[in-house]
Amino acid sequence: MRGAKPEAVIAKILLLALPAALSGPSAVRGQSDTPILSGGVQFVGTSNAGAVFYQPVIEPVLVVPVGDHWLFETRAGFQGFIARENGTTGPYQAQFFRSLDYAQIDYIANSHFTITAGRFLTPFNIYNERLGPVWLRNLQDGPIILPIGTRTSSSSNGFMLRGVAVEREKWQLNYTAYFSTLSTTDYLQAGRAAGGRVGIFFPFAGVELGASYQRFLQNGDYNNSGMYLAWQPPSIPFDTRFEYAHSPGGHGYWLESAYRFAGDRRSMAGLGRLQAVARVQQFFKGVATPQDFLPAADTNRLDFGLNYYLPHDVRLNGSYGRQFSSTGNANIWNFQITYRFLFPAWPGGSK
Amino acid sequence: MKGAVIAFVSVVLVLLACGFRSQAGPQNPAVGQKTSAAPSSKATLPKEGERRFQANCGRCHNPPDSLSPREVKAVLQHMRVRAMLSAEDEQLILKYLAP
Repeated sequence: MRGAKPEAVIAKILLLALPAALSGPSAVRGQSDTPILSGGVQFVGTSNAGAVFYQPVIEPVLVVPVGDHWLFETRAGFQGFIARENGTTGPYQAQFFRSLDYAQIDYIANSHFTITAGRFLTPFNIYNERLGPVWLRNLQDGPIILPIGTRTSSSSNGFMLRGVAVEREKWQLNYTAYFSTLSTTDYLQAGRAAGGRVGIFFPFAGVELGASYQRFLQNGDYNNSGMYLAWQPPSIPFDTRFEYAHSPGGHGYWLESAYRFAGDRRSMAGLGRLQAVARVQQFFKGVATPQDFLPAADTNRLDFGLNYYLPHDVRLNGSYGRQFSSTGNANIWNFQITYRFLFPAWPGGSK
Repeated sequence: MKGAVIAFVSVVLVLLACGFRSQAGPQNPAVGQKTSAAPSSKATLPKEGERRFQANCGRCHNPPDSLSPREVKAVLQHMRVRAMLSAEDEQLILKYLAP
């Protein structure tokens, strides 16, 4: 593969996938296509080393299925940042930010191949794709190592191929391969990169482990690599997730565990609404790279949180974190309310 | 010292996880049951669909409050891409969420 242009490699992969696309089975027939509008709304209050700020967030997702094989999906982000002028003093000021997280067209050929074109979330490890939405994450703040493999904007512009390579009763092997081109256009920023991820999932044990690789094809070209583990035992409402990532700018890991005080993850009775979360992180600084969005020094952090699930997909969360770094230690408090919504994109779609 | 504290907490979390695993009884009747890759009886479809939901979707979130079959179809196509559901997963979970 050395010497071959990434574009040529991607084109070959897509050409190989076409025959499978033409023979793909239809999954669900006989029902009209109903676009849906989904997403999350959140309001967060944070105290970070004495600086208090507030962030209203809305992340709408539009999903438009076209037949059994084609799908258009997009997610935007609208976020406010309300803080004092000088951090801890002065009047409050508000800034607002917009982002386009993904806008992609998918061709679902069959279980083994889905071809994606457009802007998509960079599939490096699992946090960015699976735990990024505000209504899904257990703790408000993202992991310290999140920028590794997801530079520059957590999104990529280009092509992606993904699916389940091998499916057996007791295990599944899934894969993702992608190429992204450089973009500096407002709201569409992306880095030039190529990479992939491979994971193996054991559904009866609730265990998935995998590895990621990315070749960042700008700023001197360098490699990012990572691995992950997720364990959700089916018999108890206990979740554990782990990620490790390495780049020239540094390496580190996070380990998060959550326990819901009930016999079932969906329980809404008594203490069943309550979930305790703990996360530990360590980051070891490497060679500083401009705009790598990584801490300037070795950093350790501990977080503890409580989630309280209300009816109708509303959740309250409070968390405390303590960060240790040679650039300064800090206490970080977060309080938030999150609402997850889902309804048809136009009237009558729910019939 | 800080590194040692963090390492200790990590070990405790892992041990707690192992402890929970070994002490937990089979609260979910689907756990431990052998299920064929292609369920033959219609009566087993909702249970198999629930198991597939828990094994795939339930790893990150609970089912939405209520959805029509057409909405479920759109959601499942979305999740086929996001969570790499198979066509069979999609059909079984559809029958579970919108029977």
